[in-house]
Amino acid sequence: MDLHDIALTVGNSGLGEWMRTNVRAMPIVEALHVIAAATVFGTVLVVDLRLLGLPDLKRTVTRVSGEMLHFTWAAFGLAVITGVMMFAANANTYYGNTAFRIKLLALAAAGANMALFHFGAFRTVAQWDSKQVSPRAAKVAAALSILLWVGVIFVARWIGFTKGYDFAVPDNIDLDLTIP
Amino acid sequence: MEHFAQWLQATPLSILIQSTSWLIPLLQSIHIVMIGVVFVAVLLLVLRVLGVARTDEPESVVWARFAPWIKRSVSVLALTGLVLIISEPVREFTAVSFWLKMLLLALGIASIAALGSALRRDAAASRPLAVFTLLLWLAVIFLGRAIAYDVEVWGALSFKA
Repeated sequence: MDLHDIALTVGNSGLGEWMRTNVRAMPIVEALHVIAAATVFGTVLVVDLRLLGLPDLKRTVTRVSGEMLHFTWAAFGLAVITGVMMFAANANTYYGNTAFRIKLLALAAAGANMALFHFGAFRTVAQWDSKQVSPRAAKVAAALSILLWVGVIFVARWIGFTKGYDFAVPDNIDLDLTIP
Repeated sequence: MEHFAQWLQATPLSILIQSTSWLIPLLQSIHIVMIGVVFVAVLLLVLRVLGVARTDEPESVVWARFAPWIKRSVSVLALTGLVLIISEPVREFTAVSFWLKMLLLALGIASIAALGSALRRDAAASRPLAVFTLLLWLAVIFLGRAIAYDVEVWGALSFKA
């Protein structure tokens, strides 16, 4: 079973069918996805700005990050659930969509950057927790994090303008409805 | 309003924006990034009023920390939103979600200002008002996405139905 088979299984599942047959499902799920993505980006931004030494300098890095991370993870969970629901509605077209693939890569890069920071620079946080200036490695991770998450949002929005196909499709034709 | 929308959609400025293929996705992306900034700033102000987050800081400090971010991001949202309206006025002005969004947006801004007038003086801000503010902003984001689905969301109530 390769990735394409998994995509087709998700698309043909009851969830996919439910997403396609309920007219209000897509707008509601998309709106929740925007709210989740906005919360992930905003909360990550608060931590990244602290690491870059912009605001919140009177509070320790761990205080700021500890407070924000609950919200980041909860919102990320909601984004994954709503993302899978949107994917299930049109799994086959998303599977072959370049913008969608780039988005997943950007997401993976943002996750890898976060992991590298967590298991790298963050291990010595006790030494610089209350300092206004973070080590260079932490600043680089924070700057990369902002760029990658903004990138994720940009490519994600781009998916909606590709109509799922990599060739030009006239605006008045919705190929999604003609291919099962 | 219908005539105005059609006139606006036919202006050279509107046509220029419509025909620049990358401009609308770019503006929408900037709009979403700024929604992240304003929403989390509002969320943290509300959580401070409810005593959930940033309780180590006085209300006035939390207000001073986030109010400038709210003002700047709302300005960028208004600007990108305005260009998006100019590019597709018929789509916006015929959507129930658009008008409802504008109404709740005005209430949402007034509601932050009301919270701010208490927070700035370190006076206890109203908790129900804080919860109401958060709900207003959630509704504004929801309605923004719903503009593209007016008939699906509003059914017979939609002007497009």
